[in-house]
Amino acid sequence: MFELICNILLWLGLLYAYFFNVLEAPIPDRVARNPYTLKPDMWPKAIIILLLICIAINIVKIIRKNRNNPEFSLDALLSIRARMCIGIALIVGASFVLEPLGYMVTCVLVLFFYGLLLGQKHVIRLAIMSVILTFVLYIVFSVLLSVNLPRGTIPELRNFSLYVESLVSSAKSAIM
Amino acid sequence: MTTWELFTNGFGVLMDPYTLMMVVFAIIVGTIFGALPGVSATMAVALGLPFTYSMQPIPAIVFLVAVYCSSITGGSITAILFKIPGVPSSAPTTFDGYPMAQRGEAGKALGIALGSSAIGGLVSALAMLTLSPQLTQAALSFSPADIFAITFMGLSILTCLDSKNILRTLISGLLGLLLACVGQDPMYAVQRLTFGSGELIAGLEMIPVLIGIFAVTEVLKQTKKRDKLSAEEGTASVNTKMPSFKEWWGIKWLLARCSVIGTVIGILPGAGATIASFLCYSSETKLSKHPEKFGTGIIDGIAASETANNAATGGAMVPLLSLGIPGGNAAAVMMSALVLKGVQLGPLLLVNQPQYLSATFASMVVTNILMVIVAIGIAKVFAQILAVPYSYLGPIIIMLAIIGSYATNMSIADVKIMAIAGVIGLIISACHFNSAALILGLVLGVICEGNFSRAYTINRADVIGMFSRPVAGTLMVISIVLLLWPIVSSLFKRKDA
Repeated sequence: MFELICNILLWLGLLYAYFFNVLEAPIPDRVARNPYTLKPDMWPKAIIILLLICIAINIVKIIRKNRNNPEFSLDALLSIRARMCIGIALIVGASFVLEPLGYMVTCVLVLFFYGLLLGQKHVIRLAIMSVILTFVLYIVFSVLLSVNLPRGTIPELRNFSLYVESLVSSAKSAIM
Repeated sequence: MTTWELFTNGFGVLMDPYTLMMVVFAIIVGTIFGALPGVSATMAVALGLPFTYSMQPIPAIVFLVAVYCSSITGGSITAILFKIPGVPSSAPTTFDGYPMAQRGEAGKALGIALGSSAIGGLVSALAMLTLSPQLTQAALSFSPADIFAITFMGLSILTCLDSKNILRTLISGLLGLLLACVGQDPMYAVQRLTFGSGELIAGLEMIPVLIGIFAVTEVLKQTKKRDKLSAEEGTASVNTKMPSFKEWWGIKWLLARCSVIGTVIGILPGAGATIASFLCYSSETKLSKHPEKFGTGIIDGIAASETANNAATGGAMVPLLSLGIPGGNAAAVMMSALVLKGVQLGPLLLVNQPQYLSATFASMVVTNILMVIVAIGIAKVFAQILAVPYSYLGPIIIMLAIIGSYATNMSIADVKIMAIAGVIGLIISACHFNSAALILGLVLGVICEGNFSRAYTINRADVIGMFSRPVAGTLMVISIVLLLWPIVSSLFKRKDA
């Protein structure tokens, strides 16, 4: 059932995209008037048409295959484990809070909560490892590879990141 | 200067202990950079650039070439062990490398990846030294229609990736092609399929999508197996057994084919290692006697991808050195670094500065040989990470995915794209679509559309005329046969039954 719903949603989404969203701006006049050029919407529209046909066939095949299947019901939707949903929420959430919270806090939170989700029972050890790993990854990417990791936009967290950076850079200059 | 003199001069240069030491250092740096997600070969060369500021031209050239070659190889390490392609060209390596690692054959998978990378690199280095001018002229005579036909041939694998699910595989490939359309169109920069989002104007960055679909999806799937993982924690053993001579001998023709195809694709402007590895993976699937085994964890898949992407690095050096035209992004960074060192790239290089051409060739040969030894050591260290409990390893992979996606362009939008790609990967898996086909469509989509548009305009909208050239016409016929063959053969089988 989940597969059927996904296919139907995909088909509807593509139909919407075909009619309303292939082009975000009008085609320039000189392009529209030129008969020897491939218009910017032709390639994606051709792909969408092929997709609409293929997905329609796939939907029919799914329905035919499961016509006499008693398990072909919405119950299949419930089979998506709650833990997986939490995992998705954690990853998507991390991508959205990375900018305001910055690398340091986001990394500690992701390492800790995803570790719990994956069944780590030693909470204190996990918390300590999360902090240590955050610093290890920071040193590898920020110090050694010069990747400017996000500092966060919340003033307190940004100041904390700047403080850590100053500590690391003074340690670096002391070593050098 | 004759080819033999170039050959001997190059090795004479590398006899200097300081230069040789630089090569080893560059291999270590390059392999580690390549293995880290988000650090592409281009970025690795750019990061290696500051090391060369105080060097003489020859050690600097040798160093950068070694970083470039080894970074491509390094990408295979994380692709095999964690399903995170370190560089985009290692994406096909995950298809067979990761299943092998899951079966406890990480050592064999890494051995095949490193060995075939070395073979691909050596063949392309020889091609660079002996056939540079001829190969460059041949590659530059390729028209957009020819390049479109080559990429279309790569797409023709779609029906073969999963012969039992041709329709779903086709849908996946078409979805990949559609995703490649997001952003600006390649000819007139008109925005398409951005749904009003400013973050999508530049299109979908390859690295975040690859990381999301491969690595994040895998970690998400593991959350379902929590109880099993807890029981197995800390007990994983890493088998570092290397492939046997018999196994190498069994793939000798595959290595030869992929080395040649990889070198030629590397020479083509705008193509590069990613296209080469996908194209070789696809062609080897077609040519194999057991195509159904591809993607389940066989050495052929790893060898095809890794031979091709390393051969492409040498191929990219051919137009760079003989014409001063970079074949890809990494070659462009190399070009700026070499010019900075006073290298006169172009046809006069062989006349005025043959020692630099010799040094580049010798560096590529020595790097590809030493790389196997050095990278096996690094890979063994990385392989030990597999023994870390998954409750630590899983979150680390997620954080590497986040940082890797961010580091590509220092963009939070790329991190969001990675997260969404991870969820899409999960849905693709639940709906029995094919993520490899989707990635194939995404990788080849941009180059396919761009060259089709150019060919369409050049031929004044005459589609038949576009394929009247011998190369384009032949390749298109082969592609259509390859595309339709699994469908036709399954119809025949059904009729017989």
